[in-house]
Amino acid sequence: MESITAYTVSVIITLIILFIAATIANIIKFEGGSKPKDPRIRKLSFWVLCLINPILIFLLGFFVFIPDGNRMEISNYTTALSIGAVMGVFLYILLGFILSRIFAKGKLGHWF
Amino acid sequence: MDKLFVIAVGGTGMRCLEAFTHLSAIGMFDSKEIEILTLDTDQANGNKGRVEKLIQLYNRIKAGGTPNANTFFSSKLNLYRFYTNYSGQGRENYKNITRLNSGTPEQQKGNKLISDLFLDNESVQEFDLSHGYRAQTHLGSMLMYHGMIEAARNIVRGTDIKVQERELDEFVTKLELAGQDARVFIFGSIFGGTGASSIPIIPKALQDFIKIRSKGASSIDFSKAKFGSTLLTEYFTFKKPNDKQKASKENSVIADASYFPLNSQAALQFYQSDPTVQRCYKMLYHIGWPIESKPVDNATGNNQTITGGATQENAAHITELLAACSAYDFFTRTTGLDIDKTEYVYKAVDFSNSAFSFSIHDFVGNTNKAGERFANKIGAFFSLAHISLTVNNAANGDDGIKGFITRCQEQKIAQYNTITDAECDEINNYFKAFAYTFENTRFTPGWLYQVRSTVAPGTFIFDSKAFPDNLSELRKLDVGSIFLDEKNHWPKGGILTNRYDSFVKKLINLGPEEDQQVNTTKEKFLAHIYNAITHSQGFHLI
Repeated sequence: MESITAYTVSVIITLIILFIAATIANIIKFEGGSKPKDPRIRKLSFWVLCLINPILIFLLGFFVFIPDGNRMEISNYTTALSIGAVMGVFLYILLGFILSRIFAKGKLGHWF
Repeated sequence: MDKLFVIAVGGTGMRCLEAFTHLSAIGMFDSKEIEILTLDTDQANGNKGRVEKLIQLYNRIKAGGTPNANTFFSSKLNLYRFYTNYSGQGRENYKNITRLNSGTPEQQKGNKLISDLFLDNESVQEFDLSHGYRAQTHLGSMLMYHGMIEAARNIVRGTDIKVQERELDEFVTKLELAGQDARVFIFGSIFGGTGASSIPIIPKALQDFIKIRSKGASSIDFSKAKFGSTLLTEYFTFKKPNDKQKASKENSVIADASYFPLNSQAALQFYQSDPTVQRCYKMLYHIGWPIESKPVDNATGNNQTITGGATQENAAHITELLAACSAYDFFTRTTGLDIDKTEYVYKAVDFSNSAFSFSIHDFVGNTNKAGERFANKIGAFFSLAHISLTVNNAANGDDGIKGFITRCQEQKIAQYNTITDAECDEINNYFKAFAYTFENTRFTPGWLYQVRSTVAPGTFIFDSKAFPDNLSELRKLDVGSIFLDEKNHWPKGGILTNRYDSFVKKLINLGPEEDQQVNTTKEKFLAHIYNAITHSQGFHLI
C-alpha cells in the first residue's frame, strides 16, 4: 500500500514536472539572429527539471506524503520512494523523448 | 501569353531598370520570363554597371530556376547588353564617325554643309561621344539609330561581330520570334541625352534591324506590335558646368540641368505631334516631379559636372519606381492595346504640407486589389531584408539569410540544408542592394531607403520607423510592424509571445505550395519564407 502511494507520487510529480518543462519550452520565444540561443535554453531547462524531478519526488514524498505507520512501513515507503524517484527520471526522459519526437518541428523538439 | 521585353536606355533608363529588377525580385511579375536589353553609348556608366551587376546577382540567385508564382524572384530575367562603340580610333566624335573628310571634294562639301545645318560645327560635332549624347538629342537619335543599323550590317556581313552586337542580335531574334505577342517597354528619360535620343527611334531601328538581317524577308508590324514607354520629365539636377571644364573640345558640350525643364517641354511637344511615335507606341506614361528637383551630385565632392563614366551613379528616386510600375501596368493590362494611336496615361498623387503622400494604391492602381498585392509583396520582401540584414545582422557581415536555414535545422526541417553559404551570401547581397548595408561602419542606404528619402517627410507605404539608419535604432526595430496600417502588422500572439515568435511558428507550420511552381531547393526555401511572411501580414487579397 505504501509502495503504491510512493509510486503514485513519483508518477504524478514526474508528469507535473514534464508539464512545467513543456510550458517553459513554449514560453521561451523563438529568437532571431544568426545564432539563436532559444533551442539551447529549452534543452537546458529540460535537463535542469530532469535533475529537479527526483529531488522533488523524494522531498515531497518524504515530507508531505509520508504515511503514518511503523518503522517497517516507513522503511518500505522510503525504499519505494527512492525507486520511484529513479523511475521518475527514466519516465521523464522517456515521455520527454516521445513528446519531442511528436512535436519535432515545434519548441519541444529542442529537448532532443 | 505575351512575351515581355524591356529596353533600358541611358543613365535614367538604367535606374528605372533597377527599380524594375527590384519589382521582379519582390515577385510582381509572376510566371514571366523577361528579356532585358541595356542600351547605352557609355559602356562604363556607373548606373549601367550597377543595374547589370544587380541583374547578374538576381540571376545567380535564380540559377537553374524557372518562372514561379507568388514568391520572391518569381520571374526569370535574361540580360542582353548593347552599347554603341565610340572608343576606337576614328569613332570618338561625330566628325570622325561620319567620316566627314572622306569622299570626293564635292561629297565632303555636301556632307559638311548638311552637318553644319543641323549640328554646331565647333561643339556638337566634336565632343567626346563616349559619355553619351549630352542632351544633344538631334545628334543622339541619328547616332543611336546608326549604331543599331551598323550592328545589323555587321551581323549580315558575318565578320568581326562584336560581343555587344551578338547580344543585340539575340535579343532581336527573341523579339522577332515573339511576333505580335511581344510587349516591349522602353525605359528612358526625355530630358537628357541618350534616353531622350533613343526612345523615338528604337521601334523603327528594331524594325530596320530585322529587315536588314532578314534581307527584307521579315519586319515588325507596328499595327500589331505593342510598344510602350515612359515620358519621364526632369526630376533631378546637378552642378552647372563651368567654363574651365568646357574649355577642352571633348567637353565642349556638357548637359546643363538648368535646361532640363525646357528640354522636357520641347520633348513633350514632339511626342504629342510626331507621327512615327504616334504610330509605334501604344502607351506612353507621363511621369514627372512637379516640385523642386534635388541635386544628385552634392555628396560627390567633385566641383565638375559629371558627364558620364563610372562616377555617374545617381541615387534612386521614386519616379523611377513609378516608371517601373508603368511597365507593370503595360505588361499586365488585358485591354486597351489594340489601338492605332498612342494613348497617354497619367495619374496624380496627393500633395499636402509640401510633401507627397504615396498610398499603396498609387503605384499599380487598385484593379483586382493590385495595390494590396503590391504592398503585400514589397512589404514581405522588405521584412525579409530586415530579418536578414538587421535581425540576423548580414549588414555587418553576419549570417543573414543563413539564419533561416539554421532555424529550419533547429526545427528539424532539413530540406534546405543543401543551400550553400555562398548562395546565402548572394541573397544577403541582394538585400543589401535593396535596403541598406554598412561599409566600414558607415551606413549606406540601398535602393528602397533612397527611394523613400525622395518622398520624406511625405508618406510612403511603410512607417518611417521602418527606415532606421543607425545601429541602435536598427536593433530596436520590430520587423513585424513596418507598415503604416496596423492591420498589416504581424500578429502579436498573446502576452507570452511576440511578433517574431508568432512568425517563426507560421514558418514551421507552412511550406512551399504546389501552385507556386517552385523547383529548386532555393526556390522552395524562398517560397516557404514568402508564405510565412505574407500569412503574417494578413492582406485580404481575395
